[in-house]
Amino acid sequence: MSKIRVEHLKYRYPSSEKLALDDLSFEVDEGEMIGIIGRNGAGKSTLCQAFVGLVPHFYRGAYGGKVVVSGLEVLKSSVSQLARRVGIVFQNPFTQVTGSKWTVYEEVAFGLENLGVPRKEMIDRIDYALQLLGMEKYRDRHPFDLSGGQMQRMAIASVIALQPEILVLDEPTSQLDPQGSEEVFRAVHRLREEGMTVILAEHNMEKIARYCNRVMLLDGGKIIDFASPASVFSRADLTRYGVVPPVYTRVCRELNAKREGSPHFPVTLEEACEVLKGR
Amino acid sequence: MKTFSLYVPRDSLIHRINPIDKILYTITAIAVPLILPSMAASFLCMLISLSLLAAARVVRQSLPVFAFVFLILCTVVLIQGWFYPGNQTPLFGVEPFVFHAEGLMKACRIGIRVTNVVAAFLLLVLTTKPADLVEELVRRGLSPRIGYVLDSIFQILPQMMNTTRTILDAQRSRGLETEGSLWVRVKAFLPLIVPVVMSSLIHAKERALALEVRGLHFEGQRTWLREKRTYPYSREIRGGLLLVLTASIVWRILG
Amino acid sequence: MMQRSSWFRFSTPSLVLIPVAVGINYIGKLFAGTLKLPLWLDSIGTVLAGMLAGPAIGALSGAINNVIYGLTVDPISFVYGLTSILIGLVSGIMASRGWITGWARALVVGLAVGLTATAVSTPLNVWFWGGQTGNFWGDALFAVVLAQTGSVWLASFLDEVVVDIPDKLLTVLVAYALFRSLPKGIKQLYSGRDELETLDG
Repeated sequence: MSKIRVEHLKYRYPSSEKLALDDLSFEVDEGEMIGIIGRNGAGKSTLCQAFVGLVPHFYRGAYGGKVVVSGLEVLKSSVSQLARRVGIVFQNPFTQVTGSKWTVYEEVAFGLENLGVPRKEMIDRIDYALQLLGMEKYRDRHPFDLSGGQMQRMAIASVIALQPEILVLDEPTSQLDPQGSEEVFRAVHRLREEGMTVILAEHNMEKIARYCNRVMLLDGGKIIDFASPASVFSRADLTRYGVVPPVYTRVCRELNAKREGSPHFPVTLEEACEVLKGR
Repeated sequence: MKTFSLYVPRDSLIHRINPIDKILYTITAIAVPLILPSMAASFLCMLISLSLLAAARVVRQSLPVFAFVFLILCTVVLIQGWFYPGNQTPLFGVEPFVFHAEGLMKACRIGIRVTNVVAAFLLLVLTTKPADLVEELVRRGLSPRIGYVLDSIFQILPQMMNTTRTILDAQRSRGLETEGSLWVRVKAFLPLIVPVVMSSLIHAKERALALEVRGLHFEGQRTWLREKRTYPYSREIRGGLLLVLTASIVWRILG
Repeated sequence: MMQRSSWFRFSTPSLVLIPVAVGINYIGKLFAGTLKLPLWLDSIGTVLAGMLAGPAIGALSGAINNVIYGLTVDPISFVYGLTSILIGLVSGIMASRGWITGWARALVVGLAVGLTATAVSTPLNVWFWGGQTGNFWGDALFAVVLAQTGSVWLASFLDEVVVDIPDKLLTVLVAYALFRSLPKGIKQLYSGRDELETLDG
């Protein structure tokens, strides 16, 4: 069953003349993890925000086509309505902290309070979200006293507590150190095991190759390719779109080491080892 | 996490009173002397507010504010004592700086009024945790969105101030003139404030996005993680304050 | 659907502008102190909020500023809340009527804001301090005028004018300079006037 259906989506920001998203059409199935790649300005963030309704409701501007997430048409639903179906985590962990709460526990409750979730259910959901993200030991900490990785996991917990069916991550680790980044990816991996549909815009191609089952390559607001990581990262013209494939793919390309019977190069460490050992 | 507010945590009865009731008290304590312009009414209100400050054990924390007020009141005594238009009875001093009885009386009245108003506000400010005040206001019908704004200021403001201090230090070490003639100092002001404003507005935009997807704009009924607190003597306090207000209005009309 | 730009339903960008406005007010005051300027400069944020998001947000920023200042620094600030509200209101109204399209016009806004502040603060000063402002130079003038003319109102008015007009002129000019330096994409967020266009068909 398709969780997300996008038909001829076009979008232009109000202060701009050029389309940020130019006629996108695709579908995403339940339980998939989709990676979105492309250079800065390719439209990754705009597309991420189009799933949750910030595009067009927050910015206004010009909009065309149709986005349906979990049965709700974005254009006809409010951002608050959509928030129960699809959650988003942004780049900067710092500016996602509400600044109105004094503990991690209360911070995670923020969205639930706004959406009128009954108190008893609220507590169950917060406990579950904190535990899933490995944040229960920080529950009484002040939100701003956390490390970047912890703050980002708190942001994910805040979104998970709203029980969305889809999670959108817009470069969630670009402002984190390697350790914080690893923490976040482990948490996302656990969410996938819970059956969550995940959309991930990311610059770290090794992570995309490792975690995503499909990859969408964007450039100038258009879809260039949308296929398996092996297929996308094996493209010879990737650098033209400002993307450097995973290091394993680059090595195997130099050695011309393809998987037996496959037209593609390996994209993860494991695959690369397998192929290179077999030679 | 540092916060900055004048609130003094204490375990006193006044601290346990509903913040709304304290606001109502403050309003009454300021309104009564306006309704009854006799010095006795002002004096009484002032005494009550001061003794409540003492009962809440926050007198020491109120001193810095009173010290500042006292400084201005000293100039009031001088100016009114010398130049009050109704001055008739010279007491002491040398021309043109002669203190008059009427002016000193006027200064005394101003002093009592100012002390009363400041004490009434201090009672609210020193004994009420801002977050409790906001929560109670939102439960009483203040828009939760305005409630959010009030709450967040207590954390966002210190952050902006920290950014500012960093920029101030950086600009100084780059040789920005913060001394010198008035014009030099005015010109120094803009390059200091522009970067802070820019970064704060960009952060504010990102925060608005994050708040929006966490339902800040939701139209329906909200709920609370914290259970509703019960505050003591609420009905008695409100009844009493209403009685005092009515009595002073009646007094004013009849008197 | 999201409601926009009504007086009572503020958009989220406009709401989060308020803490920033209050912060700018504090910073202005901090700088005025650090640079030893003989002015307050403590309403730059309120004026900027009015210019960016209109009179309602300007007035709200002014009100909230004085409540917060009253809770955190100086309880007397509650007394002057009304002045702050009108500063935000007037700068917002004039900005939305096209009075911030150049330096000369901004100067007029500065004068208007200064006169408004004077008109509201003078009665408050007369009630509260018997006419003084608490500013040393202003109060010195108050004493002289009171001694010469015997009019509390005239003395108090002049006391307020010499402090407020230069202060608000500079405040509005700084706010205008900030307004001009902001990128279009940021200003756009607060205007709340645009309709969603369609690219279908």
